[in-house]
Amino acid sequence: MSEYILELKDVVKTFGGVTALDGVHFQLKKGEIHALMGENGAGKSTFIKVITGVHQPDSGMMLLEGEKITLRSTEDSAKLGIAAIYQHVTAFPDLSVTENIFMGQEIKNKVGLYNWKLMTKKAKELIEPLSKNIDVSKPMSTLSVAQQQLVEIAKALSRDARILIMDEPTASLSRKECEELYRITERLRDEGVSIIFITHKFEDMYRLATRVTVFRDSKYIGCWDVDKISNQKLIAAMVGRELTQMYPPKNAKIGETILKVKNISKEGYFKNVSFDVRKGEILALTGLVGAGRTEVCQNIFGIMTPDTGSIEFEGKDVKIKSPIDALKLGIGLLPEDRQTQGLINELPIYQNVSSANMNKFIKAGKLDVSGEEKSAIELCQKIQLKAKDISAPPSSLSGGNQQKVVFAKLLNCDLKVLILDEPTKGIDVGAKYSIYEIMNELTANGYAIIMVSSEMPEVLGMADRIVVMRNGRVAGQFESDGTTQEMILEASLKHDDTSEDGRAS
Amino acid sequence: MSGEKNTNTAPVRDLTVKQGFNLGKFLVSWEMVLVYILILINVVLMVSRPNLYFAGGTIQSIIQSGMDVCPLVLGMILILMLGDIDVSVAANMIFASMATGLCCQAGVPVILSVLIGILAGAICGAFNGFCVAYIGMPAVIVTIATSMLFRGIVKIVLDVNVLKVFPSFYTSVAWLNIAGIPLALILFLIMGAIFIFILQKSKFGRELYIIGNNATCAEYSGIDVKKTKLTVFIIMGAMCGVASIFFVGRMGGSVSSTMGTGYEMTAIAICVLGGVSTNGGKGKVYGPIIATLIMAFLTYTLGLLGVDANTRKIVTGFILIIAVLIPNVNKQLLDSLKLKFVYKGNKNVEALNVKTAKEVKALKETIAETRKDGSLSESDKNAKIKKCEDKIASLQRECKKQTEVWLSEQRDDQKKAKERFAAK
Amino acid sequence: MGANKNKSMISRITESRNFGLILGLIVLLIIAAIITPSMYSVNSIINMLQNNAVYGLLAIGEMMVILTGGIDISIGATLSLSGVVCCRLMAENPDVPSIVWILLALVIGIICGAFNGLIVGYFKMVPMIATLGTMYAFRGFSFLFSGGEWWFPHQFTEGYQAFATKKIIGLPSILWILILVFILAIIFLGYTRRGRRIYAIGTNKESSQVAGIKEARVTFLAMTICGMMAGLAGMLYTANYATCSYSIGDSYEMTAIAICILGGVSITGGKGKVDGVIIGFLMMAVITYFISLLPGLSVWSDAIQGAIIIAAVALNIFTERSAAKRALKERSALI
Repeated sequence: MSEYILELKDVVKTFGGVTALDGVHFQLKKGEIHALMGENGAGKSTFIKVITGVHQPDSGMMLLEGEKITLRSTEDSAKLGIAAIYQHVTAFPDLSVTENIFMGQEIKNKVGLYNWKLMTKKAKELIEPLSKNIDVSKPMSTLSVAQQQLVEIAKALSRDARILIMDEPTASLSRKECEELYRITERLRDEGVSIIFITHKFEDMYRLATRVTVFRDSKYIGCWDVDKISNQKLIAAMVGRELTQMYPPKNAKIGETILKVKNISKEGYFKNVSFDVRKGEILALTGLVGAGRTEVCQNIFGIMTPDTGSIEFEGKDVKIKSPIDALKLGIGLLPEDRQTQGLINELPIYQNVSSANMNKFIKAGKLDVSGEEKSAIELCQKIQLKAKDISAPPSSLSGGNQQKVVFAKLLNCDLKVLILDEPTKGIDVGAKYSIYEIMNELTANGYAIIMVSSEMPEVLGMADRIVVMRNGRVAGQFESDGTTQEMILEASLKHDDTSEDGRAS
Repeated sequence: MSGEKNTNTAPVRDLTVKQGFNLGKFLVSWEMVLVYILILINVVLMVSRPNLYFAGGTIQSIIQSGMDVCPLVLGMILILMLGDIDVSVAANMIFASMATGLCCQAGVPVILSVLIGILAGAICGAFNGFCVAYIGMPAVIVTIATSMLFRGIVKIVLDVNVLKVFPSFYTSVAWLNIAGIPLALILFLIMGAIFIFILQKSKFGRELYIIGNNATCAEYSGIDVKKTKLTVFIIMGAMCGVASIFFVGRMGGSVSSTMGTGYEMTAIAICVLGGVSTNGGKGKVYGPIIATLIMAFLTYTLGLLGVDANTRKIVTGFILIIAVLIPNVNKQLLDSLKLKFVYKGNKNVEALNVKTAKEVKALKETIAETRKDGSLSESDKNAKIKKCEDKIASLQRECKKQTEVWLSEQRDDQKKAKERFAAK
Repeated sequence: MGANKNKSMISRITESRNFGLILGLIVLLIIAAIITPSMYSVNSIINMLQNNAVYGLLAIGEMMVILTGGIDISIGATLSLSGVVCCRLMAENPDVPSIVWILLALVIGIICGAFNGLIVGYFKMVPMIATLGTMYAFRGFSFLFSGGEWWFPHQFTEGYQAFATKKIIGLPSILWILILVFILAIIFLGYTRRGRRIYAIGTNKESSQVAGIKEARVTFLAMTICGMMAGLAGMLYTANYATCSYSIGDSYEMTAIAICILGGVSITGGKGKVDGVIIGFLMMAVITYFISLLPGLSVWSDAIQGAIIIAAVALNIFTERSAAKRALKERSALI
């Protein structure tokens, strides 16, 4: 009998050339709360999916109580008592809480019909200790995120889970709700459930975990006892990349302010956000995922319009009601999700490149295709797109080159401000570097760039100034000189107690 | 990390515009397949009824019989291009006919009444478009409802009466031949040319392709998706108005509220047969133009063979289903069957085999290119080809080996898993 | 606490769609009663329900398909096919016990529905296009089988007609069948695993995959049931009116869809209950009956039905939007 209830050895998982897990180890003791930490994209989510059988590892071993197991599906893992509560709740929003809890293991009466009475009763029994004010007969969609999470926990408990994985459960909870969750998690531990607690917040870790494992860049970095590792050491383990030489040198001259965002708010997304960006400057917008960064960008670009506040462009107040207005002014957005927002995978590259500014190619009422192709080739060569053929669809390219196509599409418009939402997400290191080069060249030509990024080294390496967002508000602004990763991390994590008071309910 | 000092010095490959005309590809394109089908039907007709086929006026009347639906087909291409659907077109067409008919009856000048008919169609289309684009209702439901609404209004106005006063040129549009060519066909081809320009040459057409393929991306690219949708529905409506000319002429210059049922189906079936995807973003105007002719010949041939109008409906229905099914069955079903039986449900094995097949294909291409390459000497060439061939062989060997290993592992695991779960 | 509970009760009632529908139904009944007092006899109400029962059956079937997020517009044609086949065979073999015909109707419906389910569920065809195709195919088969003939009351056996018209405890048997179908639908959609799966795939396809629900199989089932209801409705329609031709049931699918939407079935799937559909059915029955009573109004029925569908869908969309807005506001309190 092994000391560990769950053990992973040397697990590798790749997705079409991108390594998501690179020889990862993990050991979970029976009845412990084990924190798993790392930056966005460190491989934590893939890791959970491997444990729950959603993905099968390419190589490596998984041991449950010392015995080798292979999981083909989530059903297999559920049978073995492994349950996960995902970051984005995967529930059925229109179905009731009871039904969500018992999905797949419904209680039936003698004639084979659902026994709603008993299920409701049991659901109540499961929910009651977790929260007093969840009505199990209401549809899932009427609950708050925190409540939905509790339902997911109840669901896991109803399956007699021995191993419970919680993926950033506190990410969108208030302090009070966090306390509630801590209490519940500890109780589960006392009842003998082994818990993997994935989190960004040091507070969570100190409060709950006895041990902590850190991943970085898809790799296993280390495992420590929580009381034996200092805050600094842990941060260093999480971010610990060397910053030198990763980023091309900058030679842009910073000019006057071109875009000024003044106190904009959007109900449900962010409040009172202000910042400005100057010509030739790279402004980084950072913070945790879900802090409202993407939404701020979408409001500047006109996908949504802010409820209050104003946007000043080249010294004049402007109303941007749609992306058409934004592009006319000279503001472009490189969206976060290039597959659904940036590319048309079925159309050739040159048509993708010209799509945002087709007026340029109209000749006698007709689209001048050869002109389109010529300018697309020019642009693509400028940004060193690696493709065989300009009339091939972008789906035939690698992630980095796809991103370059979206870049070319923006460059085809006459823009002054570029908003880049996670420009290097899901791109390999070499391609990242060339995207940085493009960014620097653009700023040297007088473009102003707002870059949304979750990667701290990238923020520090590329940006001139840094705006940190937390929970829909600006949490701090830094000049990049002299700022450290620790300072940014602290600003994006710390609890703002003043904003907590107003919302006891 | 090794990549940290990567300075990306990979040579920039010259980008080319690969637009070389590929005869082989052209000959098996969907549009050409349609042409073959058309020829086949003609040959069958020619061989089975030579007297009739070569008799004067037969071919003309066959073509004329299929032309009343052609404006609807052209409009429907644009609608389907967006990924939407419009099943109210037949009702709309009758509505427009009624508008013209009432105007003519009241003595309004001919040109004006025709324009009023087209305008009435466009207004109906605008209503559909508004509901779909600006309120966000599903096109299916909206047009099902407006189909009842438009025809309902015609019923209210006409009750059981029949409108009989129409401009005299309506019947010539449907029945006249100019220099042996049906006037309707000439008009159809002119309209077809306009639509080819709109869809394949203009900015508006490109916008339709973009929206149909990825509406979110279209919005991010500064395309006014809502306005474009509304415009397309208005065009569709106006085309219903135009169709009313062909239709009323075909009916000998009369209209009642119950006429023209099923035309929406025929129009959609022709578009789908012509290679326009109902998911949006795929297809050309040529295909449906040829498909319109196919449908006309097919209907006529079936009629000759003693098949009546209602049976033709069955055939049309199945043509619609089959035309949609072909691409679906091809890809998804074959893939899933292959996964299940050839790869034993093991996705890793599937991925490996697909990847290997891809690489082998790329290598074979290289071989072919090398063969053609004039700059290399014969011995170099052979050496290079040999190298590629060796690599192919080794790749295939490895793939086979790994597959076997994985499959045997899978069998073991399954056995073990079964035991474990049985014990529990 | 007590006050709080009261308030939630009241708000629950006002928020419920059924409440609004019942209110609308009552208003409609009052208006109808004022204009046509004859509507208020027990007999005429039973008559009204009897003549609309077919719509009720179709709506229950259609509901299953809409709940999965699909649509089936071939049910009118299925109705026609089953009606024609049953009538012709009945007229040719009057001695065969009538129970055979109702079973045959069910089988025909199941075959039609299963074909739809196969091409939509397993071959992933767009439901609208697929059923548009089968609609014409089924209708064509119906014509072929009828040979263009009509059947009139004297050709109908008594036993055949009894399935719709025979009174049992004051109600014609077609209404008893309808009530039975309603009850079975409530049980199926509310209390069985297969029924709940229909809701599950309609509400969130991704979650369904994670939960290991086989989407194709569920869609197949829903469309098969829908076809079965249409088959049953076809036989009962001919039994009720004692006439039949291939053209029966034309555009009945529209009425069925209208009833579902009126009854609060979300066109995007996953939402809607049988009791809502029952109320929608009653409302539609009153409307059509009301229209048929007023002289000169019968030509209005199509236009009115079309307008009702549009209004109901628009209403559904606006209520969903305001709910989403409310949710945003709640979230905004967290910032």
